[in-house]
Amino acid sequence: MATSICRTLKYLQPTICLNIKPVFVPIRTKKRYFIPPAVNVKQKSQSEQETKARAAGVVVRQQYIERAINISCTAGIFDPYIPPEGDARLSTLSKEGLKQRTEQLRQSAASQLAFRKIKDHDNEFSTKEFPALAQQIFIDAHAALTQFNKEKLHSLVTERCYPEMVRGNRYKTLRWRFIESLEPPRVVHARCPDMISKGNLYGQVTLRVHSRQTLAIYDRFGRLMLGDEDEPRDVLEYLVLERHLVNPYGRWRLHGKIVPAWAPPKDPIIKTVIIPGPTLKPEEAFEDLHYQVPKPKAVQWYK
Amino acid sequence: MAASVVTWAGLAAFGRACGSIRSRLLGSSSTLSQVSCLHTSTELNSKHWERKNLVVYPPQQKDELRRPAEIYHCRRQIKYSKDKMWYLAKLIRGMTIDQALTQLEFNDKKGAKIIKEVILEAQDMAVRNHNVEYKSNLYIAESFSGKGKYLKRIRYHGRGMFGIMDKVHCHYFVKLVEGVPPKVEQKTGFDQAKEYVEQLRNRTIIHSL
Repeated sequence: MATSICRTLKYLQPTICLNIKPVFVPIRTKKRYFIPPAVNVKQKSQSEQETKARAAGVVVRQQYIERAINISCTAGIFDPYIPPEGDARLSTLSKEGLKQRTEQLRQSAASQLAFRKIKDHDNEFSTKEFPALAQQIFIDAHAALTQFNKEKLHSLVTERCYPEMVRGNRYKTLRWRFIESLEPPRVVHARCPDMISKGNLYGQVTLRVHSRQTLAIYDRFGRLMLGDEDEPRDVLEYLVLERHLVNPYGRWRLHGKIVPAWAPPKDPIIKTVIIPGPTLKPEEAFEDLHYQVPKPKAVQWYK
Repeated sequence: MAASVVTWAGLAAFGRACGSIRSRLLGSSSTLSQVSCLHTSTELNSKHWERKNLVVYPPQQKDELRRPAEIYHCRRQIKYSKDKMWYLAKLIRGMTIDQALTQLEFNDKKGAKIIKEVILEAQDMAVRNHNVEYKSNLYIAESFSGKGKYLKRIRYHGRGMFGIMDKVHCHYFVKLVEGVPPKVEQKTGFDQAKEYVEQLRNRTIIHSL
């Protein structure tokens, strides 16, 4: 059918326009077979592809290789507070304890300076009222973490602390309850570091909190991974809160926690875990090596 | 769907016929899916296999049975035939993970090496991310292969004829579950015959005196 139409066109044309030379129309122009598109494509190099794209008028937007820098919080805890050994514990006065006490006296002078600087920028700050506020921020932040309310969590916790709180918890269920506070929280330490330029002040205040809490972590399938929902534990924590003082809309947010060197080790998780050991040669046996599992050093670190 | 000798006119007619058949089939299947909308395993859930790992269950009570962990893993666009892959997938269905790995290691097919890599990856994921305690305490609950996207090329025949060659690719899906594999009851011929005879004996005439 298609061929007959083409042939009639061929015959019609010379009769209609006599002055113009007859145009020879190819008869079989309908595509009757399928050729895969990859057959006719020549392998183009990168420069050839670019020239073709430019000729066609295709514009590729300039790619910005940027790394976002966050200026609303600092990257760590400056001049961290060293908690005295045996805090909230029956202790024997050790040499380390005396050393820490002398360091504490030296630190307290700097803390007073820091408090004065903070009061210059923030009028409502007072060492008496701040602890209650800070404890409320702490409770709200952990409640938001339990519900995983991202917006609220970002307003209560700095950008440095957020990934540390949230990492690995996305597909887990957390159950946390703050039962009561055993001692009234008090401010123990403050620093006012300035970042990059001289006037850019951030205030970091350390708070000592002794409280009773319950924590239970369930994995993706609802099985208990860590802790117990019904067993309350006494917890002594050193929380660090930070605020960008120069920013009028800055708020006091949780920045991190200080874990002292003498803290008791955490509870192990409920499942058994393989610790990677030394690679054995074919002739060795593991029992003959007398491998000692390396214990971590007791160093203060902050989370 | 390898190369097939085709003439130019015949191919066009075939294409038109295929289109009509496909539209008719689609029409019938859409009505079917409307009727039985609950629990249809369209394409055996292959499109959302990766998403199944993101399901979070609520915490269990202390008296409930411990829920076994389920880990879904897949590999897409493997350069292998889906029919050839099916044989290997059927081989390891229902085995413990160690048994499956041993069988695949000593199998001569090309797909065996790929499936072994996939299962080892899934085992590693299970231990790291999904809180599985013992890496040998897993078994293969589901394992199947699916068709991937084919590339088409020309296969040249004599006398100016050509065929369209499909470069086949497949996907492979596996689901590991924690625990001991469920025992499949092997029914012997004698048991089946006994059941048949019982059925024959249970026949009655209804509405009789």
